[in-house]
Amino acid sequence: MNTTAGTFFVLTPYLIAFVLGALLPRQKNAVERFGLGAVAALAVLFVKGMWPGAQADANPAGEWKNLLDVIVFLPLFGAVAVLFLPRQSPALLRKFTYAVLGVDFLVSLGLLSAPMTSGWHFQHVVEWIPSLGIRYHVAVDGLSFWLILLTTLTTPIAVHVSFGSVQTRVKDLCFAYLMLHGAMLGAFVSLDLFLFFVFWELLLVPMIILIGVWGGVEKIKAAYKFFLYTMTGSMLMLAAILYLVYTHDKLAGYPSFDYLALSRIVLPERAAWLCFLGFLAAFAIKVPMFPVHTWLPDAHVQAPTGGSIVLAAILLKLGTYGFVRFCMGMQGGPTWSAAATLGGVAVFGGILYGALVAWKQDDVKRLVAYSSVAHMGFVMLGLFAGNAAGVQGSMLQMLNHGVSTGALFLLVGVIYDRRHTRLARELGGLAKVMPVYAAVFVLVTMSSIGLPGTNGFVGEFMVVMGTFTSQVLGPKHSVSQGVGAAFGVVLAAVYMLSMVQKMFFGPLTNDKNRGLNDLNRRETIALAPLVVLVFVLGFFPNIFLSRMSAATDTLIDRFTESRKAYAGLGPDSDPILQPRRGGPFEQGYPEGPPQTAPTPAGGAEALNTHAGKVGGAP
Amino acid sequence: MQALTSLFPPNDVTLLAFIVLLPLVGAFINGVFGKRLGREAVTLMGLSVIGVAFLMSLGCFLMLHEQQTGEQAARLVWKGWDWFTLDTGFSRVVLTVGFSLDALNGTMALVVTGVGFLIHLYSWKYMEEDPGYYRFFAYLNLFIFSMLVLIFGDSLPVLFVGWEGVGLCSYLLIGFWFDGEQNASAGMKAFITNRIGDFGLLVAMGLLLLSTGSLDWSGIEANRQHLLDGMQIFPNLGWLGLPNGIMVSRATLVGLALFLGCAGKSAQLPLYVWLPDAMAGPTPVSALIHAATMVTAGVYLVCRLSFVFVMSPFVMFVVAVIGAATALFAATIAFAQTDIKKVLAYSTVSQLGYMFLGVGVGAFTAGFFHVITHAFFKACLFLGAGSVIHAMHARIHDNDQSQDMRNMGGLRRYLPYTFVTFLAAWAAIVGFPLTSGFFSKDAILLEAFSSHIATEGRVITGGETLWEWPQATGTVLYAIGLLTAVMTAFYMTRLLIGIFYGDFRGWKIVQKWKEPKHEHGDHHHEHEEPGPSMKGPEPHESPWQMWVPLAILAALSLVAGFLNAHLLQIHWFDEWLEPVFKTARTAVEHKEVAEAPFLVFAVTAFAVGVGVAYWVYQVKKGEPARAFAEGSPGFYKLVRDKWRVDEFYEETFIGGVDLLAVMAVWVDKWIVDGIVARLTAFFTSLAGTVLRYTQTGRVQAYAFTMVLGMGGVGWFFFLPHAAYRRTRDDLGGKYTLTAMPGASYQYRWDENADGKWDGGFGNKTQVAFNLDPDQTKKVRLQVRNAFGLTATRDIVVHRPKPDLSGADPEALKLLEPTGAKGAPRNGQAPNAPKGAAPAPARGGQP
Repeated sequence: MNTTAGTFFVLTPYLIAFVLGALLPRQKNAVERFGLGAVAALAVLFVKGMWPGAQADANPAGEWKNLLDVIVFLPLFGAVAVLFLPRQSPALLRKFTYAVLGVDFLVSLGLLSAPMTSGWHFQHVVEWIPSLGIRYHVAVDGLSFWLILLTTLTTPIAVHVSFGSVQTRVKDLCFAYLMLHGAMLGAFVSLDLFLFFVFWELLLVPMIILIGVWGGVEKIKAAYKFFLYTMTGSMLMLAAILYLVYTHDKLAGYPSFDYLALSRIVLPERAAWLCFLGFLAAFAIKVPMFPVHTWLPDAHVQAPTGGSIVLAAILLKLGTYGFVRFCMGMQGGPTWSAAATLGGVAVFGGILYGALVAWKQDDVKRLVAYSSVAHMGFVMLGLFAGNAAGVQGSMLQMLNHGVSTGALFLLVGVIYDRRHTRLARELGGLAKVMPVYAAVFVLVTMSSIGLPGTNGFVGEFMVVMGTFTSQVLGPKHSVSQGVGAAFGVVLAAVYMLSMVQKMFFGPLTNDKNRGLNDLNRRETIALAPLVVLVFVLGFFPNIFLSRMSAATDTLIDRFTESRKAYAGLGPDSDPILQPRRGGPFEQGYPEGPPQTAPTPAGGAEALNTHAGKVGGAP
Repeated sequence: MQALTSLFPPNDVTLLAFIVLLPLVGAFINGVFGKRLGREAVTLMGLSVIGVAFLMSLGCFLMLHEQQTGEQAARLVWKGWDWFTLDTGFSRVVLTVGFSLDALNGTMALVVTGVGFLIHLYSWKYMEEDPGYYRFFAYLNLFIFSMLVLIFGDSLPVLFVGWEGVGLCSYLLIGFWFDGEQNASAGMKAFITNRIGDFGLLVAMGLLLLSTGSLDWSGIEANRQHLLDGMQIFPNLGWLGLPNGIMVSRATLVGLALFLGCAGKSAQLPLYVWLPDAMAGPTPVSALIHAATMVTAGVYLVCRLSFVFVMSPFVMFVVAVIGAATALFAATIAFAQTDIKKVLAYSTVSQLGYMFLGVGVGAFTAGFFHVITHAFFKACLFLGAGSVIHAMHARIHDNDQSQDMRNMGGLRRYLPYTFVTFLAAWAAIVGFPLTSGFFSKDAILLEAFSSHIATEGRVITGGETLWEWPQATGTVLYAIGLLTAVMTAFYMTRLLIGIFYGDFRGWKIVQKWKEPKHEHGDHHHEHEEPGPSMKGPEPHESPWQMWVPLAILAALSLVAGFLNAHLLQIHWFDEWLEPVFKTARTAVEHKEVAEAPFLVFAVTAFAVGVGVAYWVYQVKKGEPARAFAEGSPGFYKLVRDKWRVDEFYEETFIGGVDLLAVMAVWVDKWIVDGIVARLTAFFTSLAGTVLRYTQTGRVQAYAFTMVLGMGGVGWFFFLPHAAYRRTRDDLGGKYTLTAMPGASYQYRWDENADGKWDGGFGNKTQVAFNLDPDQTKKVRLQVRNAFGLTATRDIVVHRPKPDLSGADPEALKLLEPTGAKGAPRNGQAPNAPKGAAPAPARGGQP
């Protein structure tokens, strides 16, 4: 980067702060505005001065290290800025939110400039609380890459839909969406477990607001349920994280919350299982997996359309993403041992059971919610299969589910806005009055049931093939679970087509349904990108797969090695620290305090240094 | 031809992509812009894309024909783009969106686009009045696209795109008039039944990938010997007195799963139930999709993967037996139907059974030849029926009534073209000598008797020989086939007579009758029942757009048989397909039989069936049939109700899944949510309720509790605690014991447990020793604290024998290097300073 641009980026935060400080307050004269702007700029300087210096980053040439910061913090700052906008002018609020999300989407397209080779990209590391080993460490690889783009694409759609149907408390709505958006993005890019946890918890707040304020009749109950379930998992995960940090401190001599540092730890059997279960609890609830899935239908039914879209398209992916990143990447041993069992849960409790329950729902939104349980069962099964086909299929299926289920919730919202009911028995014969709506609905349904040529097929197919050939599940379970998953496609057709049948076909019996308007402009705009993606993902999945294959290969290597190290460790042994592996995936590793680890070449030395030091202490 | 070949080299025939792409373009334009374009443009678009696709297919076919010389199989290939990659750890399959053309699908493509074009032409007028005209052509074009993907696909997943695509089009077209509840549910039934088949196909793909590591035709063929590996399909249930697993070859599993897919798509037992209901769609759809092309996809797949199917004689047996059973079963139902489309539908199911009987006994060419001839005569029959229905619509607008042959009769006077073409197609299906159906059916029957799948010399890996066909199979299959031929001749003649002979029964024909203007309301038809009391115009012949396709198809039904007329020593079709089935034919064994008796039997079957039907329905005016129906009403009703199979499925399978779903909903609400949410909430609030009583607010109570607690802590510190930590290395045999620290603790050890302390109290906190496998050592530790109190602890350390019997071999391999690597790490432990256990901060743990 040349000097001019460098200077520009250094000055940018001050400039932004100055402009915001000067423009946002109302009814002030120019001098006061200038003063406030200066105060804001000084505040930035103050904050920056407190911040310890940044580490050298190991990004491949040409990648701008602040890109992720902008993507994550633009909506967060936007959320704060919304607080200073007048409540009385919803149009301004809406435009501002569109602008922030639009810019964020455009900025996130900058990610496409990187070829997504193996390793971290756009890595940015800043010391945050050095004494506890907490750093601001963000980066993307092929696993999080598409999820970020999915997020930056889906939230604007959800917001766009919400602005059409929600007319009350627009300011709060804008605040909630922006905050949610930033927090979700933050969780996807964090490589520091503390940072991850902060974002993971932060996104609960706006989501609860979304359900609890603009929700349906039982919104408070649903919001509570959502919060308590998620919180329970989070607390168990926090315990697991803290144990890992503590172990790292013991072994390496300094604490670290860093993903790279913690993934070197190999725990003996019992501790490993407890840690694994802590993480699993958080992620399984978020996904959600049987039997902790019952918060999902309640939350979906009560949430407003936009909230449902975000919840289904992105929030659930945090669970699966977390499982890939933290369970498979850090806890290979127990993950491997538990895979066959959990795979059975995913097949019977997710794919088959979810489908059966979905079939009997009369509330269309509840049906789609249960179909999510079934779809996410596919995603989890692919991860448990643990081979490239399965994991890539899962990653793709995450995107597919985001697109298809997001679109389905949007479509359900369309009819809810018109009829204020979601009960299938109240509808019927809609294809006559709303032909375009019916066509799009059938199309998205086909994508949801995995018709080849649409996105749903590629993901499901890769997952099923991965399951059949999985070595992680073992020869017996791989085939039986593959057969079970394949049978899921029959049930998917049963419940989705029954719903389509009830809603659209047959005679138009209910008089309230006569004269309903077809899709309007706003809804068409919101649906268009999703419909396009259905086909792009269906016919050209390689666009997406090619950018994630390097990361999945690395992940599977890491998973296998972590499992080998675990298997080599006796059940009663002490935890050990694996040597650093080098390569681009280990860049940005925390080096520890300089006085204790002058030559941090390998884990064994750090261990000895530390042992000597602690041994001398009383 | 030279120009074509030089333009498209055989390894990059872009023409294939164009053939497939054209109908898709048509579907897109008609579907999205059709409403605005108007009927003419939609017709032009819909017809021209299929017409051009047909010409292109013809070009490809000729290119192929030129390149195929003798036994050398020619292949035209087009590779598009990499779809996705399946990296399974031991194989890496790059799935390419690619098409290939050989003799088999080259022929099929001609049929699909050719018959498809004729049916498009027919639909021009047939659907003219329909408000969903553009939608109809969009679906029809989309169907041709999917069908072409299905037959051109170079690998199973690409085929699967077409396979489910045609299912989707079938769903959309059956439910084309979706405001009728019945039509929409028929579409859903078709889709879901097909999906059950697709489930089989998915499983087959999984097993093929697992066994052969590839999914494209040539890859599967090259690695097919791995399909002889055994696989256990039954869990170990020895403890229940059941067999401990059954070993079958993977070929059997793959074949059965594939055949499930074929049975779904091609309407075989037990999944045939959707096809008769599918007749709810417009008649051209029934002709194109549910007779000529889509339903034969199963036969095509068996032919395409013939080299996999023949690896398991059991699967081939199942295919042949199911085929024969379906042929017979469907024919019985066709006896008692009066809806002309239903009769044709069951006849289709029955003829499809014939095809499977053919390919099941290894007569792939004969089976596939029947696909071609059947496409001609059945399309002609359906379109003829459509023409009849079109004529009936002049007065009877109710779908069920206008298709009922009890309202027809004598139509040959009014619909001459339709009658002649129908007669030609009838001749072909009943096996009138020298028509196409005669040759193709005869070839299947002869091979059913004389061929079987060889078993000798082939064993499943592991030693078990393959299952062998029972001795009498050929005879039984032949007998069933012949019986079905008699029955086919009978019910088709019944249909012919019912429609075209006798007197017209629909309404009283009044010359120059005009439909009263005021009777256009929705309900007035209900008042008038078809019959002599109703008046109407003369039924009229259809326009040329409808009878020209009929004429072409009728001509083809008559002459297509000469492509493969064994009787006349013409074997062109056999030779043409010879290279495709070369691999598979090696597994088929023939008996040499004299052909003459079979010829006599075949002609007799035709003559008996037609003769009896003629006697019953023409000579006796249906009197014997009525007498039979009145004589055994229960049986007649059972056949008329299609043996009540639908009701049986409804009660058992659908009811079962329904019950399961209801149970799942209940479990979800009361068990899962009940335990995870409600019960947890209950215990939380219970704990809160109980604990509330401890919060009395009285300072004395708090102080008292505090004193008790402090006393406890004090007592704990007053007593010494002989706690220790142990590190163990069972592989290396090194053990250390470390006493845990405490307030001015002093330690003494008794390392050999002989009752004598090794020394006085001191600061030695650690002992280290080595043990041999299975050796046990006792160590005693005594701790004295500042108050002079002591605590003693007996410690037993045991080094286990390296027992690795239960470990999986993978883990054992892992253990070896780790043991070697682990040694220096453990070796350091004794040299480390005292108290420098690797985890000194860890809490005391006995």
